[in-house]
Amino acid sequence: MNAEEKAYHERFMREAINMAELALRSDETPVGCVFVRDGEVIGRGMNATNKTLNGTRHAEFVAIAGILEKHPISSLKETDLYVTVEPCVMCASMLRQYGIRAVYFGCWNERFGGTGGVLNVHCDPSVDKPYPVTGGIFREEAIMLLRKFYVQENDKAPEPKQKKTRELKTEILPMEIHAPRPSSSKSETSQTQTG
Amino acid sequence: MVADEPASSGLEHLGVVPRTGSLVPLKTKDEVRAALETFEAYILEVPARWAGAVKDAIQEAIPDLKTSDFQHLRRVVQFKYLPLHIQRRYRPPHPSRPRGDGSEEDSEVTEAEDDDTARYFLVSPTTAIEHATLIKVLVQKTPFGDAARPPWALTISVPALSPTSAEQAAQWSLEYWPVAYKNTNPYGPHSSLLARNGLELAPDAGTMLALADAAGKHVHDMGFGEQIGCVIVDRTAGVNEIVAVAGDARWRSPCGEPTSHNDPGNVMAHAVQRAIAIVGKKRLRVAGSDPDSVPSPAPFCDTPVTDLEKRFHTNTNIPPNGYLCVDLDIYITHEPCVMCSMAILHSRFRRCIFGKRMPLTGGLTADTALQKPKGDAVAGTGLGHGIFWRPSELNWKFLAWEWLDTDATTMITNNTDTLQA
Repeated sequence: MNAEEKAYHERFMREAINMAELALRSDETPVGCVFVRDGEVIGRGMNATNKTLNGTRHAEFVAIAGILEKHPISSLKETDLYVTVEPCVMCASMLRQYGIRAVYFGCWNERFGGTGGVLNVHCDPSVDKPYPVTGGIFREEAIMLLRKFYVQENDKAPEPKQKKTRELKTEILPMEIHAPRPSSSKSETSQTQTG
Repeated sequence: MVADEPASSGLEHLGVVPRTGSLVPLKTKDEVRAALETFEAYILEVPARWAGAVKDAIQEAIPDLKTSDFQHLRRVVQFKYLPLHIQRRYRPPHPSRPRGDGSEEDSEVTEAEDDDTARYFLVSPTTAIEHATLIKVLVQKTPFGDAARPPWALTISVPALSPTSAEQAAQWSLEYWPVAYKNTNPYGPHSSLLARNGLELAPDAGTMLALADAAGKHVHDMGFGEQIGCVIVDRTAGVNEIVAVAGDARWRSPCGEPTSHNDPGNVMAHAVQRAIAIVGKKRLRVAGSDPDSVPSPAPFCDTPVTDLEKRFHTNTNIPPNGYLCVDLDIYITHEPCVMCSMAILHSRFRRCIFGKRMPLTGGLTADTALQKPKGDAVAGTGLGHGIFWRPSELNWKFLAWEWLDTDATTMITNNTDTLQA
């Protein structure tokens, strides 16, 4: 990735981070995304699982539902996704079925990532066309947003765990390799999360 | 329909004819691996009274040997418990026995004595020691020091991992080597847990799947979607309370019109996604909030689109303070696609039952066997994901069954294999 390309992708990932920050302020898991077609943002989304009491309302779903109100489904084939956390297995499959062009993400999701974190839904054998993924754009910021969320209480969850003793860790280990090994048990983000 | 009415009553009026068949528990990804993985091991014929000494000799020769790695395999076995193919290797059924030294008349007597005294010893994986080294160690020990009784080690295949049920242990004992079943299943749900849940679900499962069929038929007839349907049930009180019924709506436009069938349609309007969204809205209603106050763009298609869906939509038959789909069961006409399988997991369902296996697109099955109603498994394809029981990787797990109709002709067969259900 050259400097020009880097600047291009970071511009849109910044918009995705803005959505994740909005989610954090709304007591939602801070995952945000934007969909970009021809260099323009055509849809934005943030996690909405708490507000909707629906565990499938991930940022990608929310954004695509908005896009499909105005655009034909086929337009997604010329569209790229920028999302702060690696798409989960569910979202990775949805994106592939819709025929997304490419996916760019911030941090990996070792709890249920679908594009390298746990499974490789983007390139596994399937009846649908595979798509390329690029991870690690503003990775540290994406992780910090999630950590900030997990030191808060999630009062929608059953039998809330005692989180008062939790501390906000600010140290983020540098990436030793480009992608984490799927077998790794250490999570970048700690605890469960919806991405 | 009244909220207190049992789920299955009244369904006849809707033309729902229960399907007849049985529930077959899905194999987990680890169970599939456990069933396939074998390693090569040495076995040795030893006189019973020397078995202890031979064991010590082997431990001395292979100090690093961890017998805990194969503790599911019996270490010392009598002749009569050996699988037939191993019995024949030690004692071919014809007179030319490799070590036969008596005449045919007295060989009967010798065999009877051997039965009593010979033992068969599982030495170690072949990776632990070279065959030549093993023999060299053994000939230095009693009783193999006697040139008349040289050590006789064979190499056999044995299951690498513990059996997950008594039936599997019995099968493996016939095929490979006597296996011990410890009444645990490290690779999936315990067989007694599955049996108990299967018994509970069996009486109404055919009715629930028939209702899912009807949901699929209705959306299909209206041109909204594929013939795929889904029913979400609360059975915590011992009877099925139908919480949500939804059909596929991938061909329905945001304005509510049927659209042309251009691949792939509206993926987020798959039956499972719609049904889960309907449960969320029901929960909001029970919690006293207005579901319409939460923006929900039309492409989610999370309101009823057929009369059948509407029937089960209005009653608020869901306990307050529930979380997602915890404690709920989901019935689907087809094996759900990877997206919907993970949606079920994210929603923390309790149990899942589906009708038709989807070898090219389904996300729940882990094995590649295409089950046929008559019981004979046919080799098929499968994605092998097993997204219902991968506790070391995914943060929820649930029980899952596939349904096999007694009469295969009643299965929905008009959908293509490449369909994402």
